[in-house]
Amino acid sequence: MISFQSLNEDCTLEEEGLVEEEDDIDQFNDDTFGAGAIDDDWQEQHARLAELDELVRDDPEESGDAASTGSTAHTSALPPPASSSCLYSDIDEREGGDLAESLTRLILGSDPAIAVVGTASSNKSHLPPMLSSQTHPSALASQSSLLLSYQRQQKLLHRGSASLSQINSHSIWENNMGFSPVSVNSGLVNQTEDSPLMSIIKEVGLPKRPPALGREEGQDFSERVPPPRSSSPVIGSPPVRAVPIGTPPKQPMSQVYNHQHNHPSAVHVRASMPLRYPPPFPERLSPNDLLSIANSQLSHSPFPAGVGPVLSQIQRAQLLNAQFQRGPGPLLQGGVGGFRPFFGQSGPRVSLHGPPLSHAPIRHNTTHLHPQHRRMLNQRMQSRGSVDHVGGRGVGERKNRDPYSNLMTEREKEWVARIQMMQLQSTDPYLDDYYYQNYYEKMEKRQERDRDNRKEHTTKLITPQVAKLEHTYRPVQFAGSLGKLTVSSVNNPRKMIDAVVTTRSDDEEKREKQVWNKRRQILYTVEKMYSLLLEVQDFEKKFLQTPEHQRDALLEQHKTNTLQLYNSLREKEWDDRVSDEQCLMIMSVRKGKRLISRLLPLLSQPQAAAVVMAIAKNLPALAKKDKHDQVLCWLVEPVTVVIQSMSSTSLTDLLQELQSSEGQLPRVLQNKFGVTLLYLILSEGERMQSSDPNCQLMDDNRWTELVFSVTRELLKVPSSALSSPMFTPPNLVSLFSRYVDRQRLELLQEKLQITDLSR
Amino acid sequence: MNYMPGTASLIEDIDKKHLVLLRDGRTLIGILRSIDQFANLVLHQTVERIHVGKQFGDIPRGIFVVRGENVVLLGEVDLDKERDQILQRVSIEEILEEQRTEQQAKQESKRLKLQAVKERGLSIPKADTLDDF
Repeated sequence: MISFQSLNEDCTLEEEGLVEEEDDIDQFNDDTFGAGAIDDDWQEQHARLAELDELVRDDPEESGDAASTGSTAHTSALPPPASSSCLYSDIDEREGGDLAESLTRLILGSDPAIAVVGTASSNKSHLPPMLSSQTHPSALASQSSLLLSYQRQQKLLHRGSASLSQINSHSIWENNMGFSPVSVNSGLVNQTEDSPLMSIIKEVGLPKRPPALGREEGQDFSERVPPPRSSSPVIGSPPVRAVPIGTPPKQPMSQVYNHQHNHPSAVHVRASMPLRYPPPFPERLSPNDLLSIANSQLSHSPFPAGVGPVLSQIQRAQLLNAQFQRGPGPLLQGGVGGFRPFFGQSGPRVSLHGPPLSHAPIRHNTTHLHPQHRRMLNQRMQSRGSVDHVGGRGVGERKNRDPYSNLMTEREKEWVARIQMMQLQSTDPYLDDYYYQNYYEKMEKRQERDRDNRKEHTTKLITPQVAKLEHTYRPVQFAGSLGKLTVSSVNNPRKMIDAVVTTRSDDEEKREKQVWNKRRQILYTVEKMYSLLLEVQDFEKKFLQTPEHQRDALLEQHKTNTLQLYNSLREKEWDDRVSDEQCLMIMSVRKGKRLISRLLPLLSQPQAAAVVMAIAKNLPALAKKDKHDQVLCWLVEPVTVVIQSMSSTSLTDLLQELQSSEGQLPRVLQNKFGVTLLYLILSEGERMQSSDPNCQLMDDNRWTELVFSVTRELLKVPSSALSSPMFTPPNLVSLFSRYVDRQRLELLQEKLQITDLSR
Repeated sequence: MNYMPGTASLIEDIDKKHLVLLRDGRTLIGILRSIDQFANLVLHQTVERIHVGKQFGDIPRGIFVVRGENVVLLGEVDLDKERDQILQRVSIEEILEEQRTEQQAKQESKRLKLQAVKERGLSIPKADTLDDF
């Protein structure tokens, strides 16, 4: 791709040009890099690099050229491009596996949680000491290296003389810089000397490591732990893992790769894959056990594999395939072990389709499933198993012919499955998976209903609940200091800016805001009440779930919850009655009306009655507010229940309330809910009268008078103004017949017959 | 081995021949070699199959790595049923030619429709190139 010869020429040309502009560059250098002593270091470092390159590279000429060009350059700008582009072309020749590997490790080592950007800015001023220091490589050092490369790039671009090859090499650097700061380790240096990033790092002057060229064959790179992550404090952050959760299981690729290149004769394939993660249980999974047999059902491949297996993974897969072509192979043992730490249950053994299959049903960690669900799965499994037994022989012969099977190892499959399983963990199954739980419960009930004699279906729901860990983060405080340390991470972000709220002095805005504030307050109250309400309503379900000894505690909690609900309706602490204003306030919001409708059944009789009274008294106001929402009708059902349980006196009171203020009744009649309520009251009164002759309804004249006024109003109001009720109780006619003459009765009947359908 | 009972997972589909439909309308057929948690797929010995009418043509593509979000659906190919296929297989050039003709016909009909609609004084808003919404 990049012809090295041309590159060289370019370099030398530029070099000559550079000498003229040396002053500018040097000044720039001095400002940024400090004293000229740095240059010497550069030279030294680069000389060493050149030696290294010589040893690594097959062609000594190239490295010699690079060294010569490098040593004569004054600025640090040129050698990196030259060497890196040489390296770049070198990389191109190979499969790029090394680069990928090293980059993967770099990404692994980075920690996005901690803002190292802060260090970068502070670092600029401290660059000179950083460079010359031989401290242990940390994020800072690498950051400085990235900065340097960036500056080099800027200079080059500024000069505008960058050749294509250089731009290409810069693009690599850009990519590298795109990755967040790296905590470079010695291991990285050892592993590969070829990546361009590595060359940059070397020039920066990291502590010298002996080039591990004379590596022993037995050296196990996969065992090496990646550099310790610089991580946020454990409190409030997820537990720091040696390897981030999202990384695939490691493959021991590098060793095979390098050997391939350097010693083409010896192909060393690692057939064993040691465990990277700390095993959750003592047994070790041997590589044999890791293989699965059942795969690859290809009978033909459309195109012959023209690509020779260069990647070690394919080699490994092939070897393993070859090894296990005979016989069914050992059963997979403990393949589900990875799930143990999550569910804390001993994962039962998994068995494959093989001769000893029938006695061990596949029961993967299904403890988190509903028992009904599990039963269904088992049934399916068995039916499938019986079918597969027949087809298994035919398949077994075909699968051996596929040389590319098992590219994805069992470990990797487990890893993917594990990630997917992680999502199923739940601290509160009812909250997380409400529909799933309900569906299976209903199914159980249905089955119980249908087949009453089968006793086995009455099972209790066992859901493993992952303990809810409380992550309370309290910022670290030193005694006697002012303020707190600002150590922020992903999970406990700290305020960066203290924003002060300034109130506007505009009067109208103030009023508007007041209104909004009031509304917000109401909504807040409603929300709180709702959460209490939901708790109370879920009580029954929870009650059935909890074991015996915990039931008392739950009962207590339930009582307190209900009590709190009652109290929230009261406005003042000493006033035992339900506060009207509070109710009204709540009802002014749509949500509040819904809340009340759900709440009424739970309240005690006197309280519920009081609420209904309040509603009746303020019906016009409520109706007006409801014009927008039209949800008062939700209240009909619970109110009906309340009315039916009311005593006669309270019923009379209610009717009175409905007509208490001037002109209230006509307005009530105009509202659908109002009409319904009125009819309900009247119907209830009638029912009382007709069922129980000596009821107290007729004791004082109030009831009669009130009914009279209602009839008067009904007759007076034009039909168009009368709203149609939700339903018309049938006994109203008999009620009116007691009080009015026939003529009026007929008119009233007409009015009563106004329903939704007739309009 | 059932890794995830009661769920749909691609783990059991590995090393089996699959037909993958992509969001841009392409149909890929290949052996599913590797997956990850985003349902990114690695297809081996992939063939892009172009269907026009009752004919189809295959273009060999090699190894595909498909980003999970671009997959509409995928399903395992039943090799027995594949043998008894009704559709007629033709050469690549032929099928590309057929596809071109089909595209032209579609364009033509669309143009005519637009013209007819314009004549009547209506207008159809042009759909954006973004077919996500």
